[in-house]
Amino acid sequence: MDRQQEFVLRTLEERDIRFVRLWFTDVLGYLKSVSVAPAELEGAFADGIGFDGSAIQGFARAYESDMIAKPDPVTFQVLPWENPKGDHYSARMFCDITMPDGSPSWADPRHVLTRTLSRAAEAGFTCYVHPEIEFYLLRDLPDNGSEPVPADSGGYFDQASHDVAPHFRRHTIEALEQVGISVEFSHHEGAPGQQEIDLRYADALTMADNIMTFRYVVKEVAITQGVRASFMPKPYTNHPGSAMHTHMSLFEGDRNAFHDDDEPYELSDTGRAFVAGVLAHAREITAVTNQWVNSYKRLIIGGEAPTAVCWGHRNRSALVRVPMYSPGKASSRRVEIRTPDSACNPYLAYAVILAAGLRGVQQGYQLPPPAEDDVWSLSERERRAAGYAPLPQNLSEALVEMENSELVAETLGEHVFDFFLRNKRAEWDNYRRHVTAYELSTYLPVL
Amino acid sequence: MTEGRRTALSLARLGITDGDAAETLTRLGWWRNGRVRRDAEPTLWALSRAPDPDLALRSLARLGHAIGDGWVELDGLMRRDPGVRGRLLGVLGSSTVLGDHLVANPQRWHALASPEAAGPNWADRAAQRLLFAVGADTTSPDSAVPNRATLTGVTAQRALRVTYRDLITELAAADLGAVVEPELPVAPFEQVGAALAQLAAGVLRAALAVGMAEVTPDGRPPRLAVIGMGKCGGAELNYVSDVDVIFVGGSEDELGAATKLASAMMRVASVCFEVDAALRPEGKAGALVRTLQGHLAYYRRWAKTWEFQALLKARPVAGDAEIGAEYMEAVGPMVWTAADRENFVSEVQAMRRRVAAYVPAELVDRELKLGHGGLRDVEFAVQLMQLVHGRTDESLRVAPTVSALAALGEGGYVGRDDAANLAASYRFLRLLEHRLQLQKLRRTHLLPADDDTAAWRWLARAAGMRPDGRHDALEVLRIEHTRQSHRARRLHQKLFYRPLLEAVARVPTEVYRLTESAAKARLAALGYASPQGALGHLRALTDGVSRRAAIQSALLPVLLEFLADTPDPDRGLAAYRRVSEALDETPWYLRLLRDEGAVAQRLMALLGTSRMVADLLVRAPEALQLLTDPEEMAGRDPAEVAMSLHSTACRYHDLGAAVTAARALRRYELFRIACADLLGLLDVDAVCLALSSVWTAVLSAALDVALRAEIDRRQAEPARIAVIAMGRLGGAELGYNSDADVLFVCEAVAGPDETAAVRFASSVAESVRNLLGSPTQDPPLVVDTGLRPEGRSGPLVRTLSSYQAYYTQWAQPWEAQALLRANPVAGDMELGKRFISMIDPVRYPAGGLSARQATEIRRIKARVDSERLPRGADPTTHTKLGRGGLADVEWTIQLLQLQHAHEVPALRTPSTTIALRAAADAGLLAAADAEVLLAAWKLVTRTRNVLSLVRGKQVDQLPTSGRELTAVARALGHSADNDPGQVVDAYRRITRRARAIVERSFGA
Repeated sequence: MDRQQEFVLRTLEERDIRFVRLWFTDVLGYLKSVSVAPAELEGAFADGIGFDGSAIQGFARAYESDMIAKPDPVTFQVLPWENPKGDHYSARMFCDITMPDGSPSWADPRHVLTRTLSRAAEAGFTCYVHPEIEFYLLRDLPDNGSEPVPADSGGYFDQASHDVAPHFRRHTIEALEQVGISVEFSHHEGAPGQQEIDLRYADALTMADNIMTFRYVVKEVAITQGVRASFMPKPYTNHPGSAMHTHMSLFEGDRNAFHDDDEPYELSDTGRAFVAGVLAHAREITAVTNQWVNSYKRLIIGGEAPTAVCWGHRNRSALVRVPMYSPGKASSRRVEIRTPDSACNPYLAYAVILAAGLRGVQQGYQLPPPAEDDVWSLSERERRAAGYAPLPQNLSEALVEMENSELVAETLGEHVFDFFLRNKRAEWDNYRRHVTAYELSTYLPVL
Repeated sequence: MTEGRRTALSLARLGITDGDAAETLTRLGWWRNGRVRRDAEPTLWALSRAPDPDLALRSLARLGHAIGDGWVELDGLMRRDPGVRGRLLGVLGSSTVLGDHLVANPQRWHALASPEAAGPNWADRAAQRLLFAVGADTTSPDSAVPNRATLTGVTAQRALRVTYRDLITELAAADLGAVVEPELPVAPFEQVGAALAQLAAGVLRAALAVGMAEVTPDGRPPRLAVIGMGKCGGAELNYVSDVDVIFVGGSEDELGAATKLASAMMRVASVCFEVDAALRPEGKAGALVRTLQGHLAYYRRWAKTWEFQALLKARPVAGDAEIGAEYMEAVGPMVWTAADRENFVSEVQAMRRRVAAYVPAELVDRELKLGHGGLRDVEFAVQLMQLVHGRTDESLRVAPTVSALAALGEGGYVGRDDAANLAASYRFLRLLEHRLQLQKLRRTHLLPADDDTAAWRWLARAAGMRPDGRHDALEVLRIEHTRQSHRARRLHQKLFYRPLLEAVARVPTEVYRLTESAAKARLAALGYASPQGALGHLRALTDGVSRRAAIQSALLPVLLEFLADTPDPDRGLAAYRRVSEALDETPWYLRLLRDEGAVAQRLMALLGTSRMVADLLVRAPEALQLLTDPEEMAGRDPAEVAMSLHSTACRYHDLGAAVTAARALRRYELFRIACADLLGLLDVDAVCLALSSVWTAVLSAALDVALRAEIDRRQAEPARIAVIAMGRLGGAELGYNSDADVLFVCEAVAGPDETAAVRFASSVAESVRNLLGSPTQDPPLVVDTGLRPEGRSGPLVRTLSSYQAYYTQWAQPWEAQALLRANPVAGDMELGKRFISMIDPVRYPAGGLSARQATEIRRIKARVDSERLPRGADPTTHTKLGRGGLADVEWTIQLLQLQHAHEVPALRTPSTTIALRAAADAGLLAAADAEVLLAAWKLVTRTRNVLSLVRGKQVDQLPTSGRELTAVARALGHSADNDPGQVVDAYRRITRRARAIVERSFGA
């Protein structure tokens, strides 16, 4: 029993916490939780909690399904929800998934990211990220296919226009701070009901844990405010989707490896090669950064989202943006990847982006010239002439790209790679056979 | 004249070879008119005993010159006092650097006049002198009262350095005096090591005092404790060594100042030795100074096993005594619970490998510190046992290696004689290290090069070696060094394990012995999953008072060490017990293991990995001899083996006896192939070829004896018979547990009586099948004739013309496909050849396949894929029917063969690998695609072979975790340091790539 474990057990006792949620993430990015009473936790620290891996998306097949979840006491946090007496009644810890013999499970998305990070560490890099997470606040979540009603009618940067949940953002930020997640910035986004909350940067693994916690906390706070939150990539045909723009930087020790005073935009050779890597492999990794059928409804012209493989400085239509502000501030030099949406599996998405960037750095990819023009306003022929490859237009195209990618296979590991492809193909097939409201309204009257 | 001859002490006899030595001696007043002055004789004899007399004389002359008139006093003292001349000449003849120091500071020789440095309290006083040298208050070096130096900067450093050199010189003089004057007391190694550690602590205290004066010239200095680690903490320091420390600060707000102070201390002390703070939490990346709480937080949460091992040696050596004591009190208990930590066993194993891996090959014989059984290895072993057993036994909680060894011996954790002998060897090797370092005051652990006789001679004399009548000092040293380092290596190997045997001995031979629970704790720490079971095996192996039990007791400690490095030590030990019991009556068995260390090592590696090897060995004990010569083991020609198997079996007239003989030879050959495979001596092609060859030989022998018996019975031979190999056997691609797919074909010898011919041939074939198929414990010899026309409902044997009729009229595409690997292997080869010519048009159809036929084959494959894979099986790890597995690759190339062999003769081969290459050469497959398919096929075949070896039977599914996967990983050549999950990932990657090509090429 180490000290941190003792601390956890004592805290549970002192604060009269009745149960502990042990969290992990399945391959598709769903948060999984098993609750244990404090009395059982001691055993869980020693031996882990056994569970049937075949019941979890992507973990195991029936015949070798025993798996162990091992709680990581460092991630212990008391959850901010209170019981009627005003006491906190639950806490959470993230788990690492192992095989019965104690070796790491290659199905665990957390392990996928850990492996990629250690490959970065071998090259001398640590990876820091900060995401800007967008989502919609809705009055309810209709499951009959009808369009949801936004919780407010505010616009970009509007203050206090929440009709239904006036203190939502304040409550959310307080709750996040209580579970140890620092918020940098938050505001109302352009569309009615759409919010954006930016998290303060952290190392990639911590941030992936934070994003999982974030989604949970946001949804819970929304419920306490009488509304619902959704991270669906594109709930409205006529409003922008919910992106998770992610700022990334690599550090060599204390030094920001992306920074170089002498280069244009203060972006070092390493930074340029990293961006080149992300661009060169952008099409292969899209299935992971944008993993749902619905994700591709966001990646359209005019949707405030990238549609072609290019980079720029002020250019919001570019896939990678190199922000220009805070000149001379070496440690804040970073690049912004604009493809991921808020419903990705953050462990896998960060792993493939980082792997693509690292490949660029290690093989010295050359960065093409920046896109100065607004890609959205170009005609398709102009885009082709400029050499901007289009992103996959739907999940099926993205899967074909991914299937041929050794980079993605290597990064995810063969187990996750194989499961992901099979699962997503099935998702595409299900979607394909479905007759949509669009088809009915367009064709039924005229055909 | 007579007197002259008696005292004609020549320079050569004194071992002085310098050309101008006589002149020097004359100037010193010891030599006159070509002979020694009588009153200087003892001095000259002493000089001759100095490690390097020439060096000693030269330095002495320089010293004499430097002290001028003082020489008279020194000379007089040397003539009178053996102590003075012993100490002075010892230093001058051993160390150029210390000689230079005495010449540069000519009055310092006075310090050597007294024997003080050999005394017990000298080191305390010496430490005081270091403080005094920098003008620090020497009355209360340990108190919390600020203890500032009056000197700072370069002045302080210079003073510290000179004093430190003085003290080292005094200590070295005391250490070396007995080399020159044998009646002087010998300073034991422990005493010298402890004194050096105390000197180092004195330097640190003085440097800290200087640091205080520099950092906080007035006001209250920050509280800071310096904890000595490594050999300084363990009070067993070398003459020249980095000094390892850890800093502990008072409170958070003092840390800034304390860090400055610590850096200042390190800088000031660096004129004496490097101060290394890298053992601190987080190593070089961590804060130089932490509070006690900071340290504890780290050790509780983050520290690795080796860090606790390092803490074994921790001891406050300078600075704030109170904080130092608190640190020790808080950290101590953590050290003694480190062995309970979750990852202790795996981390220890990794550490062991790291220690052992550190051998630079070209220097291995000259290394004192690194290498197997070197100083570091011994120290590591002792510390590991302290961690494991110090949990419950406080008597083991001592720092110096030699004391710890003694305590381990007293407690029965190590055999007492072993402990004493190992300590003696350790002392000897450390002594050599000390002498080597003194010469030029350099940090070295390297013996002189073999041909550097002068250096060896010098070392021999400095180490106090005396000629023994048959050997001179140099040879004595070499013999002694070899003996001691061998002994250290041998004892080290048994150190962990010998006491385990004492623990299970029914007749106690040692009064102090390991308790059963201590034995279990140790076995668990060494990677045994079931210590109880392992102890049971040990008890069974060593039970009784027979000679056999005695040899086992002597052997097992080393065998257990070998087993600990295997993937499954528990099963390895159990297998060893089975083998030993089976070979109980075999006189040479234990002798072979005892005398051939390499055989024992290989055997343990095999038993700890492969169930099949253990099973075979129990019934083929004589095969053990194969392990003596790996080259020969790998080099046997499969064709020769086959021939001798065939002729041996055919010598027996009794059918049963013949087959038994064939089986025995096959067992031997299987064992040979399995061992060579696991030891990495045969590649997968060679393994498959050898396995196919031995199967063929067994089949051919069985056919011949069955044929002979049938002819004898009938007194007639109405038919010729040939055996056509199909499938894997036809392609010479057999695995360890593959069945033999065959067809039997016959032809009437004379006349058209085909019925009689077929009846005759059928009973021969039946007899072959039954003979070989009768159950035994060997890997089975199943003769599978399921590929014959009409399958299981068709006749077992057909005539050539019957086959011809069938194939031309009825053959399905899949039958043509099966014939692709047909190859005559036994019986009448001429008939076999005609069979092949007959089927060639069937399997290599002119014009290839029709579109319908090709589709038919694709459809069958699709059905096989979906139906034959067992329910719940993971297609990504199923070697036979899985994604990119054997079936995928083989069907792909076979389709190409059916389609193109009629126009590409190179495709007409039963071998998958040859056909793949031919397809690439003919442009039917892209070269890169063919490479991918080949790589996958070989990996999968190899994996299947390894699975058979590990499990002892054929398994189709690659396990994805557990000890079996670990064993597979090791057998495939992966390092034990890697996550075995990587093997699964690599397997899936390579087969996935193959599958992509299969889909493209085969159209699956």
